[in-house]
Order: sequence, then C-alpha cells, then structure tokens
Amino acid sequence: MAPVLEVKDLSVRFAGITALEHVSFAIEKEAIIAVIGPNGSGKTTLLKAILGLVPYEGEVRLFSRPLRQVLPQVGYVPQRFAFDPTFPLTVEEFISLTCRSPERLPVHGVLAEVGMNEFKGKLIGELSGGQLQRVLLAHALLHRPRILFLDEATSGIDIEGQGDFYSTIQRLNREHGVTVMMVSHEISMVYNYSDRIICLNRDLVSHGETRSTLTAEVLRKLYGENSSFQPHDHAAAPPRFDAAPAGNKGHHG
Amino acid sequence: MAELLQLPFMQRALLAGLVLGLLLSQLGIFVTLRRMAFFSDGIAHAALAGAAIGLLTRRDPLHTALIFSALLAAVIFILEKKSRLPIDSIIGILFTSSMALGVVLISLRQGYQPELIGYLFGNILAIRVADLVLIVLLGAAILAFLFSRRRKLTLLALDCEMAALAGVNPDRYELLLYVMLACALVLGIRVLGIVLVSAILIIPVSTARLFSRSFRALSRWTVLIAEFTVLAGIFLSYYLDLPTGAVIVLTGSALFSLAFITSLLLRRS
Repeated sequence: MAPVLEVKDLSVRFAGITALEHVSFAIEKEAIIAVIGPNGSGKTTLLKAILGLVPYEGEVRLFSRPLRQVLPQVGYVPQRFAFDPTFPLTVEEFISLTCRSPERLPVHGVLAEVGMNEFKGKLIGELSGGQLQRVLLAHALLHRPRILFLDEATSGIDIEGQGDFYSTIQRLNREHGVTVMMVSHEISMVYNYSDRIICLNRDLVSHGETRSTLTAEVLRKLYGENSSFQPHDHAAAPPRFDAAPAGNKGHHG
Repeated sequence: MAELLQLPFMQRALLAGLVLGLLLSQLGIFVTLRRMAFFSDGIAHAALAGAAIGLLTRRDPLHTALIFSALLAAVIFILEKKSRLPIDSIIGILFTSSMALGVVLISLRQGYQPELIGYLFGNILAIRVADLVLIVLLGAAILAFLFSRRRKLTLLALDCEMAALAGVNPDRYELLLYVMLACALVLGIRVLGIVLVSAILIIPVSTARLFSRSFRALSRWTVLIAEFTVLAGIFLSYYLDLPTGAVIVLTGSALFSLAFITSLLLRRS
C-alpha cells in the first residue's frame, strides 16, 4: 500500500532565516497525526510546505503523487480566518464557495456531520469561535478529502468545544478513513486523540506512535523546563494541562 | 418623459448608465470586501495621465486612458508582490505621479480644453456611439468573468490560502481583478468623471450591506440600488439642469443616508 504522506529532506527558509531544516518522515496508513513543538518551531511552516503554500527545498508526496495531482483529495482548516465579520455571507453560501454546482455537492450533509446544519442560514460573522471552526471543518470536508490538515484549529475555543471538535476528527478518521494531520499546542488533546506524533523544533526532534513517543524527555527537549505534562496522568482522562510554549525562535510557528 | 426617451443622446446615456451601474456595482462588492477603495480612487485619478496622452497625441482619450490604467494596475500588482512597501504607499506614489504627469501633459496643449472638464467630472449626455459600443462590449466581457468566477473571487477575497487549495491561482486572479477594475473605472469616467467614478463602486454596495442578510441578497440589492441611482440621477440632472455625474453621486448618497438612518432606527427598536 502506498504511503499516505512522504516528506523527504524538507527545508524552508524565509529571507535567510531557516524555519525548517532537513525534515523527513513518512505516514504509511490512515491515522491522526499531531505536529507539536514550541512557538517558532516550524509547525505551521511544515503544514504550509506540504500544502504548497510556501516555497521549500526537498520532496513532498501525498498518496505517492505531487500535491497538484491530488489537490481535490486534500482538506485544510486554517489557524485564523481573517474575514470582514460584517460581510453578509451565510454559512451555507460560504460552504458552497468551492462548488461549481453547489446542488450536486453534499453541503447540508457536511454541515450535519459537524453538527452545524441548523446554522446554515446564519451569517459567518455572527458565529462563535467554536462554531466558525466547525464551519471551516465542514468546508474542508465538502469534497470528501482523503487527508485533512488542521492548523491549530481549536485555538481560542473552550475546553469543552475542543473535546467536541477532536471527537469529530476522530470519528472522521475511524469511520471514513480520513488521515488527519493537525498542528496543536494542546498536548493533552494530542495525547488523547492522535495516533502518531511529529515533534519539531525547526528540525525533527522525534516522531512515531503518540503514546510511546510523547515522553517527558521529548517534551523537555521541545519545551525545556516549561513542560510539566505527565503523559500517564492523561490517558483517556480529561485534559488538565498544556505545555507552555517556549521562547519564540523565529517566524511561522 | 416619452419624448425624452426618443432623443438619441438620452438613449445612449441611459444604456451606458445601466451597463456601468451593473458593472461597477458588482465590482464594488469585491472592492469593499478586499478594502480596495483607495486602489479604485487612485486608478481613477491616475487615468488623467492616460486621457492627457490621448488629447496630446490626437487619439481617443478613452482608449489611451484604458491602456494606461490597465498597465498601471499591473504595475501596482507587481510592486505589491515584489516590494516591501505597503500597498497604500505604492498606490499613493503612482496615483499622485500619474496625476502630476497628466497635469504637465495637459499644460503642453494650448488654449481652453473643454474635454478636460468632461474627463474630470463626467458628461454622460455627450457619450458617442463608439463610446457606447466600447462600454457595452468591454463591460459584458468583465461581467461574464465576474459572474462565471464569482465563487472563486469571493473565496480569494476571504482567504487566499483556502482559495489556493481550492484550485484558484491567487496571483492570476488578483492581477485580472486589478486590470478589470481599472478598465471598468475608465469606462465609468465617461459618465461620472475621474473625481466621482469610485462613488458608484462604493455607495450602492455599502447601502445594500446595511440590510442584506446573505451574499445573494447583497448582490441583488447592490444592482437594484446602483441602477436606480444611475437612472434617477440622469433624469434629475436633466430636469434640474445640473451636472449629471454629481447628481448621480448625490442620489446614491441620499439613498445611503436613508438606509443608514433606517437601519439605526430598526436596531434601536
């Protein structure tokens, strides 16, 4: 079976500043993959490089093909959605923006899938942070992607909202076989919901199965002494703590 | 009224006004969403240099202004991508420089220049058949692009990265939008003039935004308000014997004020 995602010797530089250096890894089968690291460690840059949104050196292949050939199979939920909140655009209209023929695509289906069908007539500027993230997720799911990229998709959402959001992600992965790659600062959520983990600090610190990779030593390497996360306290338990981001090392964290 | 509609100059004025009302108001939706009001005003003012080149070289000023403004829009796009200057600084530099060039070129011509007043403040009642043909053909081409790419342009205005992942080439679409906006503004100059043309981009959509509860409603109300503004402005200016461009803009402003006050009162109640 072809790997879902292969990243070989990936480096990204912005105006002489190295954001990522010689990162290589492969995801063999459908999974929830979390990307963690302190601010400025290159998490968002990694996602953007995989998605072809920033120039990079190295090789990225999705389902053994270049991104351009598999673009319709890719979904993306951005970290921030900086739109004019007074612009009159309903949830349903927003979801339909990527459709040539909206009536042929399951707009109502994806809204129902993320529990937002009753909000379809509401203006996107009137949604709460959690509701907006669900709408962005529905938008990303519209074309039935095989892989979904989430860039700190739950930042600014309360703990309960985060739990609901990650449960939806987990269901998409388990029931529909969607591979999910998510950048996150919420170590507890990562520990409870992801199958594999990629630990970044401009280069690859560690990667592998979440429970065995996310050790206190790895967390110390990433966050220094700021991290007091204890993995064993968090197995299948409500999250109680998140690693405090360490000092900013550069751009595009 | 029936007699008035029989007059060829009035027929040309009304047709040109209706086409431009539809064209500029639809572009105005993207202009306000992308906060490009200064770009629009800058391009309209810079068109003076293009018109001056036409007047000086005895070519049709509308044609030279179209080419000049389209090129200027492309230069703004390139500088925005390649330089580290903020977009409003780039527009400010190019707009004032182009206006200065226009003033210098016009000063090289001897004697009184009535065409200049027409370009500054518009003269819809002096629209020739050739102007009308250009307005209808170019306007139809731009509208066809806008309507066929409406969703992509909206997504691009909302989030560039999401648009790129939806298969939109952001650079190509932005360049096309800049150039088409420049062309539409120059066409509008014949009606409203350099000084007033951006009003019909901004005022109808801003009025419609006050009470629209969906993008579809916004599009429809914007067109209705723009067309009513243009038609009412033309007839009022004819009967009151006042400058057409200015009366169109004042009609639009009056509608906006009415809608704004009504929306405030409704919110309070």
